[in-house]
Amino acid sequence: MGKEMLTGNGAAAWGVRLAEVDYIPAYPITPQTEIIETIAKWISDGSMDASFVTMDSEHSMITAAGAASATGARTFTTTSSQGLLYGFEMIYTVAGWRVPLVMVNVSRGLSSPITLGPDHNDILAVRDSGFLQIHCETCQEVLDSVLMAYRLAEDERVLLPVMVNMDGFYLSFTREAVEIPDMEKVRSFLPEYRPEHAFFRAAKPMAQGVAVLGGDFYSYFKYQMHLASQNALEVYKEVCDDFEKKFGRKYGTIDEYMLEDAEYVLVMINSFSTLGKAAVKRARENGIKVGLLRPRFLRPFPESEIKNALEGKKAVAVIDQNISVGKGGIIYSEMAGCLYNEVDKPLLLSFIGGLGGKNISQEEFEFIFEKMISASDTGIVEPPSLLYTESELEGMTKLKEIAGKE
Amino acid sequence: MLRLRFHGRGGQGAKVASRVLGTAAFLDGYNAQDFPLYGAERRGAPITAFTRISRDDIMERGLVSDPDIVIVMDETLLLDPQAMPLSGLKIGGIVFVNTPLSPLETKEEYGIEDHVVTLDITKVSLDMIGKPVLSSLAAGVASRIAGIGEGALKGALEKELSGIISDREILGKNTDAALHCYNALVPVQVKTAETIRERDNVITLPFEIARVSSPAINATGNTPLRKTGNWRVFRPVWNYDICTRCMTCVARCPEGCIRLNEDGYPYADYDNCKGCLVCAEECPVKAITKVREIHSRSEEGDR
Repeated sequence: MGKEMLTGNGAAAWGVRLAEVDYIPAYPITPQTEIIETIAKWISDGSMDASFVTMDSEHSMITAAGAASATGARTFTTTSSQGLLYGFEMIYTVAGWRVPLVMVNVSRGLSSPITLGPDHNDILAVRDSGFLQIHCETCQEVLDSVLMAYRLAEDERVLLPVMVNMDGFYLSFTREAVEIPDMEKVRSFLPEYRPEHAFFRAAKPMAQGVAVLGGDFYSYFKYQMHLASQNALEVYKEVCDDFEKKFGRKYGTIDEYMLEDAEYVLVMINSFSTLGKAAVKRARENGIKVGLLRPRFLRPFPESEIKNALEGKKAVAVIDQNISVGKGGIIYSEMAGCLYNEVDKPLLLSFIGGLGGKNISQEEFEFIFEKMISASDTGIVEPPSLLYTESELEGMTKLKEIAGKE
Repeated sequence: MLRLRFHGRGGQGAKVASRVLGTAAFLDGYNAQDFPLYGAERRGAPITAFTRISRDDIMERGLVSDPDIVIVMDETLLLDPQAMPLSGLKIGGIVFVNTPLSPLETKEEYGIEDHVVTLDITKVSLDMIGKPVLSSLAAGVASRIAGIGEGALKGALEKELSGIISDREILGKNTDAALHCYNALVPVQVKTAETIRERDNVITLPFEIARVSSPAINATGNTPLRKTGNWRVFRPVWNYDICTRCMTCVARCPEGCIRLNEDGYPYADYDNCKGCLVCAEECPVKAITKVREIHSRSEEGDR
């Protein structure tokens, strides 16, 4: 179909349309709303054939999505931030049902204070649920990831729901040129879903997500989910290979930018990685050998790829666009856990940046590069820190004065 | 790379203007990115939208803090301490202002030192479309300043507006008005130098006690201080020769902006009247006329 200017939300909607999804339960919340609006419009004007139901809450929405998926219908739903949290109980539940639901989350900072700007505490809150998590940097990647997510979710070796994540505003409302794949080609990549797994039929009574009153049974089922999630790494490689053959775009569990000969590495997820890449490019012009690693998957966590990519590097700085209050950056902890048993491991630095969509400035990237270089020169790693500038604190002080705080 | 920032009011069409320009640049063979900043805003409130145009990959996201070109769709925003349309404009950058004033008068009036381009696109819109809807016109102006071809602009208008406007006639009027604005401007060369910014220091955020650092507001409300009167395109003006003092306008004003004087005649609180003109619609004897704000302002000098 060629290239079009699409927002991240528009790209997600196109992914759903091309995947020929059967059922969409919906509940709008900023900044996800445009996905639902777009799909609703297409269904009403006949350009998309699917059942669309507006629900009374995200809790009901995710329940309906899981139940529909359990009947063998290809199902899509989408939410953001507080909505994801409202449906949190059912996130764990439907993952345990082992249904191949695909859900887009548009990341937005969690209350309180209330904000509409993005960070990743919403999606990371559901990190341990059993949903696989794909994180996108560009609008193109959002569309492609929705298609690949169905292939992955519906594979018998996996059969777990998938969340595709994008940043609110910086992707959801940002338009870029996006290649919209041809429908026939998509059909050859993602054929109609024909479940072999047990599924609901009126003529065939069954129970899903049953009670197992005993830890040995419960452990078995939980660990099976873990094994299935880990299988997804292999399956995803196959899916990516096939995707590249059909559409020419190459994806993997990690994205590597100027990494091969790099001595210093930034680790970031999502759309701010673009800013990281620009900073890497600038630093390279100044002779600093830096690169960027972007985990595309957070669950399953692509440990061996990450270990390989970071072998022999001097220092790695993780920029977390999230905060585990009382601990710090979540992906920093993940990376530390991943590298702990390695013999020749790089120094690991932790920075918190971009909370609630706060810009990560050129100065802040330069600050990180300086810290990485001085750490590798001295062997001393400074404690984790927040990326915050003098002028931002001045602005905050002014705001507090207006709010009558002193 | 060219970075444009559009400043308008909610409902004026800043978002659509940034999209039309984005698509026009895309059709002209550039890499393009456009992005509006909104969420909690409402009609009339200051809005910004952005377009980036480049031959190379665009490795930026989010709001444009150092624009090459600023498009001011409502000149009252120049005086708004919240909107601050000129902030971060690069040396050698261009400011377009929607105003009946000449570039020289605009520079003097608002103390602008940069290159100023002006056109009363509200007038063009009223004359050619019949409504003060500025999206396509601002896109026309921006396309001209950014050096986008006329054909690409036409294609972009068709593509972007046909999704919003179903009436072919109104669509045609929008396209005509946009092209009129495009051709009304003399082509300009945008030659900006990269701004040399003062390096901002990364600091360690100090601990502050909860009384100071929790997100609560201790001060009393300051909304009465924010005058919304500068949102108007038209203001209601009463003809007391016809007015019957029926008070329908007082009752219908959604903002509670109409009061009665000592003789029982209605008058508006122009500091806060947003110019919705429900009063003019509802007046049974048609004693209220709508007067283009810019003209009434110069008469009464109450800006």
